Amino acid sequence: MTKKSATKAAEKNKKLLVGIDLGTSRSAIAADNGKRKWVESYVGWPRDFIARKVVGKPVLFGEEAVAHRLSLDIYRPLKNGVIKEGTARDEEAVKELIRHLLSLVRPESDDSRVRAVVGVPAESFKVNKVALKKAVAEFAESLLVVSEPFAVAYGVEALDNAMVIDIGAGTVDFCIMHGTVPAEEDQRTVLTAGDYIDQQLESFLRERYPEADFTLNMVRRFKEEHSFVGEPPGEVKVEIPVEGKSTLHDITDEMQRACESILPAIVETTLELIAKFDPEYQDAIRENIILAGGGSQIRGLADYLEKTIGEYGPTTIKTVEDPLFGGADGALALACEMPEEYWTEL
Amino acid sequence: MANADSKRVKSVILQGVYEENLKIGAGSPASVRRRAILRRRRTAVPVLLILLVSLALVTGRFSPLPDRTPAAEPSALAEPAPMLPWPDILSGYTHAPLAPPPAEKIVSAPLPAVPLDAGRLLDYDLLLNSDSVRLSAVFGLGVQTIVIDPGHGGKDPGAIGSHGTMEKDIVLDIALRLRDRLQQSGNYRVLMTRDDDTFLSLAERVRFANTHDTDLFISLHINALPQKESNVTETYYFGPPSDLYTLRLAEQENRGSDIQTGDFRNMIRKIGDLLKEQESATLAATIQQSLFSNMQKYDKKISDAGTKIAPFVVLLGVDAPSVLVEISCITKQEEELSLGTESYRDQISLFLQQGITRYLSQRHIQVVKGEKNDKEIGNKSG
Repeated sequence: MTKKSATKAAEKNKKLLVGIDLGTSRSAIAADNGKRKWVESYVGWPRDFIARKVVGKPVLFGEEAVAHRLSLDIYRPLKNGVIKEGTARDEEAVKELIRHLLSLVRPESDDSRVRAVVGVPAESFKVNKVALKKAVAEFAESLLVVSEPFAVAYGVEALDNAMVIDIGAGTVDFCIMHGTVPAEEDQRTVLTAGDYIDQQLESFLRERYPEADFTLNMVRRFKEEHSFVGEPPGEVKVEIPVEGKSTLHDITDEMQRACESILPAIVETTLELIAKFDPEYQDAIRENIILAGGGSQIRGLADYLEKTIGEYGPTTIKTVEDPLFGGADGALALACEMPEEYWTEL
Repeated sequence: MANADSKRVKSVILQGVYEENLKIGAGSPASVRRRAILRRRRTAVPVLLILLVSLALVTGRFSPLPDRTPAAEPSALAEPAPMLPWPDILSGYTHAPLAPPPAEKIVSAPLPAVPLDAGRLLDYDLLLNSDSVRLSAVFGLGVQTIVIDPGHGGKDPGAIGSHGTMEKDIVLDIALRLRDRLQQSGNYRVLMTRDDDTFLSLAERVRFANTHDTDLFISLHINALPQKESNVTETYYFGPPSDLYTLRLAEQENRGSDIQTGDFRNMIRKIGDLLKEQESATLAATIQQSLFSNMQKYDKKISDAGTKIAPFVVLLGVDAPSVLVEISCITKQEEELSLGTESYRDQISLFLQQGITRYLSQRHIQVVKGEKNDKEIGNKSG
């Protein structure tokens, strides 16, 4: 083989390994070229040719899509963290989202073949494998689908006697790790997650401040900035317009009630999963609980859970260092360590 | 974990991931076999469609919609369908050799010359894969028999409050009151899995429901939480992932193909499963909404855990739409004391009845209000 043809062959075989965490609210990607990006899980197409001219692009993503929402048919295709099926546009939106995520980590000149590990919510595992394969087939040479909390666990090397609680927007995913791929009975998904807090907070605020003028999107931003459980860190005050005039509102109580509304389900599911596990290892699991996902950033959450679950025995709860990329990093770790023979072409 | 151990565990895990993915792999032998089976079944499509019509006509549960001509009339079926999305199938019907259907299956409905309403029958993509279609409304299904299942009983007390109140006694009393309330309307046959302090295994409860033509199954429980100050109400239903998978798989297989309704058995099962899931979810939502909004008046701090999906055996086993209601928490002292009063238990039975009644009154709404993506964000959500 000549040097030139050898180089060509090497280029042809060049692979880009990526880990993707597809979420209701945000989707993240991490690649083995060191790039990590995230995007709000919104996809929007201009409504008509005028809108197309105004926004200047055929398709918009994330915050940019939200900012131009009046000109766009906008989609948030990942209901409960899974691909919403039923309309071609939602599937198209997932495709565009994945295409966009890949474009963020792969320069245009780079024609390496993509091998992806994609994380999906625990309980919707099988459904999503099929749907994702459809969505990814166009862009990737090979794909493996894993559950999100499992990807997180792999990323932080919590492989044995550990439990991951991944608190996302659409779902809270639970997964017990015991030295092998978690089975269905080791995993749970609860649907009262970040979006549920938003809905609760919105409803509490409308009740208390009926004159205030706000959107669910604003409520979500309030939550992301001020969420807490337990003892309030101080007064939570936010600016909300009233008859067009920006006015300061105290939302401390409402924020607390809304954030705490997801706790019973989390505690109950955690205890239930642990209780079902081999009694000899229950203590070890309780002492190795890892919180991941955006919801893990709620102030006071780890302390609250540690205290509540601690009533059953010594409990240690840690939070992943980078909740936004926990799933994507874990998926990338899997991709990097996956033996060559386990990659099969789509 | 020691390095060698870690390597070994990782190796096991990576192999596990590979094997898990193989199960769903598009090119896996199982998938190839499935496609081959579908191809073989293609020739039987028209016969199967006819059988579907027969089934819809002969079973009481698949009664025709009230404003339609009874489908048993061959003339109704002989009307040309205005839109036939898959003409290949129809031509296949005309020319392909038909396997003779089992004699007992065609007794109830004579074979029409041409199933020209097939276009509509074939459009299961809309029925099975649209959030906005409610099968109970499409098929005009009614509810006759409601089974109430008070949890625990006999040797199994269930949760016990700090004052000694037992879950089995509270739920039995509420269930009896609920039965009386539902019976008052005179529209339903209301049965109880137990109406005294008897122990029943989960299998016996399931068997009872499945052998009594149950249309709705409602299991009542009281919760116990480690946080003694917490009070939570929540309602569960079962959403088996394998069924969803079947649905999605069918959708994937169907798209762009000319064999979209090739598997009669699968179709029937899917309709049943989807129907159960749709109805269970709706029933759970109406009960939960009624319970929470009303119980707030008694305990302002009660939390709404919403409707949840969980693999309770009793919910899986019962064929009919079924829910499991965790009414409140007996571990909260104040709640335990309230549950001990007759008036409170009677009120709870009323809240449950209201939720069930609301569900029953909604059954004829054909199109469920779907989520609109563009309304989720940005626009005022009030």
